[in-house]
Amino acid sequence: MSQVLTRPLPQRAPWAAALARLNAVDVVLWGLRIGVVAVVIAGTIGTVVQDRYDAAQWVDFVVFGLTLGAIYAMIALGYTMVYGVLRMINFAHGDFVMCGAFAGYFVAVPLDRSGFLQDHAVLGMSAILLVSVITSTSIAVLTERIAYRPFRRVTGLAPLICAIGVSFFLEQTFRGMFGSAVKSYPSPAWQRATFDVFGFHLPRVDLLVIGLAVFFMAGLYLIVQRTKMGTAMRAVAEDGEAAALMGIDVNKVVVFTFVLGGAMAGIAGVFYAFVYKQVYFFMGFTPGVKAFGAAVLGGIGNIPGAMLGGLFLGMVESVGPTLFLDGLGIPAPYQLRDMIAFTLLIMVLIFRPQGLLGEKLAKKRA
Amino acid sequence: MSLRQQPAVRCALIGLVFGAVAVHLAIVGVLLMLHKRWIVVDTLSLGQATLLVIGLGAGAMAAARVATLGGKFGRGTVGHLGTGVVSGAACGVPIAALMLLTTLLPLQSIFIALSPDLVDMLSLGLDPAPGALALIVAAALAGLLGAALRIAPSAITRPLLPGAVTVLVAGVFQELIQLMLQQWPDVVGDAQDFIYTWEGLSVQGAVTLFVIATGLSVLFRAAQRRMVVHRGPPDPKRTRLMWAGISLLVLILLPAVAGSYIGQVLMLVGLYILMGMGLNLEVGLAGLLDLGFVAFFAVGAYTTALLTADSPHALMHLSYWAAMPVAVFMSVCVGVLFGLPVLGVRGDYLAVATMGLGEIVRVLVMSDFAAPLLGGAQGILQIPKPRIGDFVLSTPVSLFYLTLVCSAVAAFVAWRLENSRLGRAWMALRDDEDVAQALGINLVRSKLLAYGLGAAFAGLGGSIFGAMLTSVYPTSFQLLISINVLALIIVGGMGSLPGVILGSIALIGLPELLREFGEYRYLFYGAVLVIMMRLRPEGLWPSEARQRELHSRDETLALDAGADAVPAQGD
Amino acid sequence: MLAAGVLLFSVGPLFSVGPLFSVGAHATQTLGPVTDDIGVLRIPKGAPIQIGGSWVQSGPDTALGLDQKRAVEIAIKDLGGKLLGHPLKLDAEDDLCSAEGGQTVATKFAANPQIVDVLGPGCSSAATPGAPILWQAGIVDICTSCTAPKLTAADRKPEYYGFARTVYSDIEQGKADATYAVKIAKVKTVATIHDGSPYAQQLQQVFADNVVAMGGKVVAQEAVAPTDVDMHPVLTRIASFKPDLIYYPLFTAAAAQVSRQVKETPGLQNVKLMGGTSMLSADFIEAAGPAVVGLLFGNPDLSPDAMGKGYPKFVADYKKAYGEAPVSGYHANAYDALTLTVKAIEKVAKTDKDGNLYIGRKAFRDAVFSTKFEGISGAIGCDPYGECSQFKPSVLEFISADPKTFGIGKNPKKIWP
Repeated sequence: MSQVLTRPLPQRAPWAAALARLNAVDVVLWGLRIGVVAVVIAGTIGTVVQDRYDAAQWVDFVVFGLTLGAIYAMIALGYTMVYGVLRMINFAHGDFVMCGAFAGYFVAVPLDRSGFLQDHAVLGMSAILLVSVITSTSIAVLTERIAYRPFRRVTGLAPLICAIGVSFFLEQTFRGMFGSAVKSYPSPAWQRATFDVFGFHLPRVDLLVIGLAVFFMAGLYLIVQRTKMGTAMRAVAEDGEAAALMGIDVNKVVVFTFVLGGAMAGIAGVFYAFVYKQVYFFMGFTPGVKAFGAAVLGGIGNIPGAMLGGLFLGMVESVGPTLFLDGLGIPAPYQLRDMIAFTLLIMVLIFRPQGLLGEKLAKKRA
Repeated sequence: MSLRQQPAVRCALIGLVFGAVAVHLAIVGVLLMLHKRWIVVDTLSLGQATLLVIGLGAGAMAAARVATLGGKFGRGTVGHLGTGVVSGAACGVPIAALMLLTTLLPLQSIFIALSPDLVDMLSLGLDPAPGALALIVAAALAGLLGAALRIAPSAITRPLLPGAVTVLVAGVFQELIQLMLQQWPDVVGDAQDFIYTWEGLSVQGAVTLFVIATGLSVLFRAAQRRMVVHRGPPDPKRTRLMWAGISLLVLILLPAVAGSYIGQVLMLVGLYILMGMGLNLEVGLAGLLDLGFVAFFAVGAYTTALLTADSPHALMHLSYWAAMPVAVFMSVCVGVLFGLPVLGVRGDYLAVATMGLGEIVRVLVMSDFAAPLLGGAQGILQIPKPRIGDFVLSTPVSLFYLTLVCSAVAAFVAWRLENSRLGRAWMALRDDEDVAQALGINLVRSKLLAYGLGAAFAGLGGSIFGAMLTSVYPTSFQLLISINVLALIIVGGMGSLPGVILGSIALIGLPELLREFGEYRYLFYGAVLVIMMRLRPEGLWPSEARQRELHSRDETLALDAGADAVPAQGD
Repeated sequence: MLAAGVLLFSVGPLFSVGPLFSVGAHATQTLGPVTDDIGVLRIPKGAPIQIGGSWVQSGPDTALGLDQKRAVEIAIKDLGGKLLGHPLKLDAEDDLCSAEGGQTVATKFAANPQIVDVLGPGCSSAATPGAPILWQAGIVDICTSCTAPKLTAADRKPEYYGFARTVYSDIEQGKADATYAVKIAKVKTVATIHDGSPYAQQLQQVFADNVVAMGGKVVAQEAVAPTDVDMHPVLTRIASFKPDLIYYPLFTAAAAQVSRQVKETPGLQNVKLMGGTSMLSADFIEAAGPAVVGLLFGNPDLSPDAMGKGYPKFVADYKKAYGEAPVSGYHANAYDALTLTVKAIEKVAKTDKDGNLYIGRKAFRDAVFSTKFEGISGAIGCDPYGECSQFKPSVLEFISADPKTFGIGKNPKKIWP
């Protein structure tokens, strides 16, 4: 007996042991990693070799990407806050953005027509932002009260379907009220001008949007980190029941979260409209979905993460097709920009579900 | 009592809420659109009926709610009716105010639905100022009527409802009904001429139908009571099964009776039932939230197209019956391929990941990049219809029966799976993955089987879809389809097969029939989703397990409050 | 009671096995004074003559369908609302400009034995599945703004036998646009953008092929999604190829974005821009803003000298009835489609002594294909494959960014020929 036990077990080289533990799933996942990396590298090399774009154009790509990213980031902040506090994907958040943009439109156009927006830029923009924020915040709070509050404790898919229903409802309400034609935001001259940065001409409105986005996001971050309500928010996000036991009024905190999220959505809506000019009832859907992806990318429930995720996603959408697909000789690469964005999102969800900065929520909670 | 709790104020608040609903309908343009539709030609439009129902609702709710508050106001018949009047009047004020504002300010430049036609409708044909007053009075009367109906004995009110519903259906769906009746001009021609004119329901027709329906309802109730006396109270489960059986029979036989348009609509419903059963396996049984479901649908359709179409893109020219199993097989492969990377992802994140996968497929089939293989923006055309010997399944009705057969097969498969070991493994998976794994269930295998089998159903549906349209266009495969399928299994009742059928009829069939309300389909759709989830989150026909789950909390609370243990439900 | 119900429902179908097995109304039939190979339509005395209409009536392209529906309503009004003693009734449905929508509407009409013919759909993707369904029921489909070449090609399938259109084919439009670009504007290199829709993708391909045939060069063929808002990257990429002209037959929203963002893209400051016929609407001017000035697009010639004699009166009637000028570009085609229908009915309809009207379906189809007249959009006369209108190309240019100044011929102005 003792002889059997003391005979040493056959040793295997470590790599052989690892290989033996492999199964089909790992093979596929590794294949995916290698495949994506290969495409990225091959494409980048191809693009660099082709050398079709000069430095100014690359800078343009980057600036467009950062602008788009800043807008995604602002929308993502609303998503991430609501998810952190309620553990719910608010599908209708993109539509809050649309509501704010519409409200701002009806202020912006008369202001522009009378020349007020041209002469008093700051005052004009503030007025537009104010109206937009009030609208989107009211709608957000109303939605929470009517559609989400009863689901506070319910698990399962009912809240998600409810959110989808709210999304449809808001879109169609605004379409019924204002028509399905595309409306355009005004384009005052001070926005169309360009700044000269290191010899590159960058459109003023883009830099304005990026700068103001950072400003507002920093403000939000301070609110969440430094104020009493912000701390209460973080407490409820951490553990709702314990927070309630600690004497925090959860209802008030949730309403406050929606106020903040709605406000950011309104601001994002106005900026989006000033950069891309077009406002129509369905404009919120796709940016909303992508912004949620950005929030997940950065780490859901994490505010700096949402900002980072948004900027990153915007850059990938703008630079990605040029950098990766162009070099591979793929025709019409810009049609595939959504594909790149979603591939990125899926890769993150598979390989780093906690996102760039977040905690491990994806694999922990079912 | 605080101001808010005083009964009169409560009535007014209830009325204001209903008034807000009316204002919303007006400002969105629904009211005017409904107004263009007659229930009874030249007498009662659908818009007017809507306003009436809103007023009735305000009155009824006020009478119901306020009666429980106590105080002098709200007692007795007069009190109840009084609450109705107050509530109705409060309901009328916002909408009258809207009408007046529209005549004073140029609101139409912002809110395009506030047209002179709408003002005309709301002012009841009078000038704005007296019209507003008349509207408020009319609303108060409606509230009165609503309160009266609420407090009247049910022997009077119960029979009225079928009568009203019959007139409504006959009036609103007059085009379809007339289409159906036209198939047998000899049998029902005279009756049709009496009830309908070319425009719609006539006054005499409406009155006749109302009387007949009410009478039938009274007789039915009497017969039911007699039956109860003889044989005891009816078993609810048996009644349910009986109604289900009748409905199923109607569903199966309706297309042959009602013509090809209904057949087309039912075919669409059938396809969604097929897809719903597939998603039911993934979401309802295995708890895997899949929002990329449309991708499998697309794979089935494109495979069929590539194998059978009479077009330069086709890889070969098989018969439809040979291509269908291949399409299903390809969908299963793609399903497994989708499932492999996202095995470790859970919950809401899985929803987003699968949505991303679905979108990737959509972008790919539309792209120029894949165009040489998949046809790009032009799609693949000229898919031949299936043949059985000499008989070509070209009409929607015949394709509907094909869908029905496939659905029946799928339903059988799904039912067997539900009660099998695999099904129970899925349910364990849904409840708690970690525990399931600890119990020895192979997570990888179960999940992949769920994705694969769900995809198989969708692929089958996609294959029939391609044959139905005789072409596949990339724009047919949007995220909206996945959302629709998810919504219909949740509204119908997740995890239950009758629920899928019911959900499909409710969410797919009705909007198709209500095409005239085309622009506002999604408005109603969204509102219905929200209302359903608030009132009945377990769905219209939930599986018993689900109902127990969602209401177990109520039982627990009741037990805590000291009730006796709830007796076990039958079966 | 239960048993009675079940019995009724199981016996009912025996009365109408017809809809299940019939392959349409393809059987020689004699009703009243008319015998026809496909079927005979009987309209009782006093009942309306029903004409089906299938146009997009919701969503961002509403103007397209609304314009045509209004035109047909004016045409009916011009006839006094009556034909041969029966009221003329238009039954317009929304086909959502999609294949499923087109098919559903076609099925609905095909199930209605009282429909004489269907005008529309407005989009080729709706017409492709819809027309065969209609013809299977013996109903002719006269399309009013679907321009896909396949629909009237010489090798089209027999199920399109009943399909005709009073609008040109994109083969003509693409060729005309290419002719203008290469021969008049004298550009050497072009780039194209499409949005993944069958219409745009096909049109830009025809354009590109013609440019190459005329000696020009196509340096880029790009694509975007219809809901894309950020066109800068695509345009920057196009800029790197240095084209002289960008051809982008996109729908309103995307076209407006491209128009605006071209000015902001370095390298494209001097490039010429040429869009598609969807630019012909006040909505586009509103969407494109100040960038609209100087934009060109090809469109069939709608100026008074190119159109039929009745066109100015039509425009005046339109303005009076609806308070605004025509909102899109295909109203004249729709008007002429109704006129064609009416002339064909007058040719083949027979009334019996009781006042009922009979129309043979095959005879009606043949009449549609053989009738010639001067319509308000030009001469109408069908070739054997259903192409009934003459194409007169033109190029228009926008001169003002104020949506209120929209007027066909004024803003945009015709600059060629």
